Amino acid sequence: MNFRDLLSLCAKNLMRRKTRTLLAVIGVMVGTCAVVVMLSIGFGMTKSYEEQIQNYGDLHMIELYNYGSGMSYGSPQEQQGVISDKTLASIEKMDGVTAVTPVVTAYMTIGIGKYVTTDEIVGIKPDVLKKFNYGLQEGRYLNNADKDALVFGSYIPQWFYNPQSKNYDSKEQDVITDKIILTADYEYGQKPQSGQTDDNKIEYKQYKMKGVGLLEEQNDQPDYRVYMNISRLEEIIKETQKAEGTKNLVVPGQEKTYERAYVYVGDINDTERLCKELKDLGYQTSSPIDWLASLKETANMIQGILGGIGGISLFVAALSITNTMIMSIYERTREIGVMKVIGANLKDIRRLFLMEAGLIGFIGGVIGVLLSLLLSFLMNTVLRDIISIALSSFGAYGTTISIIPLWLVAAAVVFATAIGVFAGYSPAKRAMNLSALESLRNE
Amino acid sequence: MQPLIRVKNVRKIYRMGDERVVALDNISLEIYKGEIVCFLGTSGSGKSTFLNMVAGLEKPTRGEIYIGNIPIHKLNEEQVTLFRQKNIGFIFQAYHLMPMLTAIENVSMPLIFAGMEKKKRIKLAKNALAAVGLQGYENRKPTQMSGGQQQRVGIARALVGIPKIIFADEPTGNLDTHTTKEVMELIVSEVRKHNQTLILVTHDRSIANYADKVVTIQDGNVLKIEEKQKEGDKR
Repeated sequence: MNFRDLLSLCAKNLMRRKTRTLLAVIGVMVGTCAVVVMLSIGFGMTKSYEEQIQNYGDLHMIELYNYGSGMSYGSPQEQQGVISDKTLASIEKMDGVTAVTPVVTAYMTIGIGKYVTTDEIVGIKPDVLKKFNYGLQEGRYLNNADKDALVFGSYIPQWFYNPQSKNYDSKEQDVITDKIILTADYEYGQKPQSGQTDDNKIEYKQYKMKGVGLLEEQNDQPDYRVYMNISRLEEIIKETQKAEGTKNLVVPGQEKTYERAYVYVGDINDTERLCKELKDLGYQTSSPIDWLASLKETANMIQGILGGIGGISLFVAALSITNTMIMSIYERTREIGVMKVIGANLKDIRRLFLMEAGLIGFIGGVIGVLLSLLLSFLMNTVLRDIISIALSSFGAYGTTISIIPLWLVAAAVVFATAIGVFAGYSPAKRAMNLSALESLRNE
Repeated sequence: MQPLIRVKNVRKIYRMGDERVVALDNISLEIYKGEIVCFLGTSGSGKSTFLNMVAGLEKPTRGEIYIGNIPIHKLNEEQVTLFRQKNIGFIFQAYHLMPMLTAIENVSMPLIFAGMEKKKRIKLAKNALAAVGLQGYENRKPTQMSGGQQQRVGIARALVGIPKIIFADEPTGNLDTHTTKEVMELIVSEVRKHNQTLILVTHDRSIANYADKVVTIQDGNVLKIEEKQKEGDKR
């Protein structure tokens, strides 16, 4: 018996009991639709989470902390997670890492003429700034020869003000200049307060600096930071501590360690893996990807629950197919017998019933998917406002509520058909094993 | 001449709970190619059981059945189905047409199961319907036809593949006297035309008149065998 004849016979059989077939088809349709719509909402949530994460920060960047900083004197295993030039060099060799730099920061005052601003000065290895892909509005990145050179975040120029003016006199400064003074003295540029004795006044040094670059706007931390050569910044910090008399204890003979470091990942798909690998090496890490991971977990969980609800209805649909097929076989016992007597192979009988069940699944699946596409469209347009209120309680504020990828369309139809065939398997086997004699007996 | 069907010492016992019912006691006989044989008996005599066993629908408890050289009693269901598909046509008392199929589709069924291509089988089915006098009824469904017409479709279905052997179990049991005559004459003339072997099972003595050989069955045994000399054309 060839496939086309089989198909036409199945179709004719299904048409005989239109209502029953229709009910079974509706069952599959509802089940498929439930699964697809539920999953599509999950996909929509995942997407909206991803959109939100883009605003949280740079997914390329992993910030590294010295685990238990300052306490890492003892035994070698406690040395785990220490940030030193040596460990950073090995991190740089890790797969996916584009740039690594230790980080030292200090809050210092920057003066251009009578205008000043106090900002976070970030000391890094000069050559990595370029690799961080921040982009330049003006000037250039730092290079290894730069010592007294600064690269500014995009907001900094607007923050200069004149501390001597009575009104708050703020004026945007051109930072690409060599008339910059950097100092740890927060009172720099202010009028000396009269009546105050200067006995305890700390003599902060003033460093002459040169502005070489202005970064593009990042909508992130780099916008309000000033970058410079780490070794120069360390010198300045040391001299400042000396002036303040708060010199840090340095254990002689110990390797120099850093509190923090930046690890720049070339492809954001590697970020999560690298975070984990670095954690395994004993580092404390922080990256916007952590947020994404936990949000994705939420999305997966919600998707699982929603998909499960859909799955239950599909399971019920499968039961109804089985039931339909069993009923149909009871009804057609004689017919099956006659078919056997007039030459149907056992396999033909089985295929006939499997195909009928599969056809119910297939038709239900196709209609279910079409219905899901319609529902998805409605959810993204007419019903969007109502549904987004409900979804915002899970922290998803995306613009698209339901996303049905093409593979889901195909998978849903295939799955529905498979469910039909699966549900029809036991009835088909029963039909196959029916005695041909039944046809002649129950006259 | 080698007989087409050889039945040797066939016995069939049904188990009904604890009780054993002997349906066939001990039957041996031979049927030759081209013969029309009628098995006559009352209900419960075992005649239908005998037919089922020769057709391979049931296995004998004991004994051997050969069609040609093939031991029907030894074949498994798969093999016996294939054998039936190629060699045997069935006519039923209750016609047993597929209600959702038209006359021509019903007649095509055995050919569909045999995997014949559509063009060829439609032609054969049309011819078979014409042979039973049902031109123009090709696209009618069973519900749109009289009992006699339905049985003609049934006959066409049994004959379409030109099988070696036709089995007919009470083929006129549901028909009136006039139609019975028509149908029986049709079956006999078609079978004779193709030199096929017909095995009839009935309780109706008048049907037995169409046969070359009448085997009377009683309580699972052959009571008597009557051979008819018909118009001197006996082989």
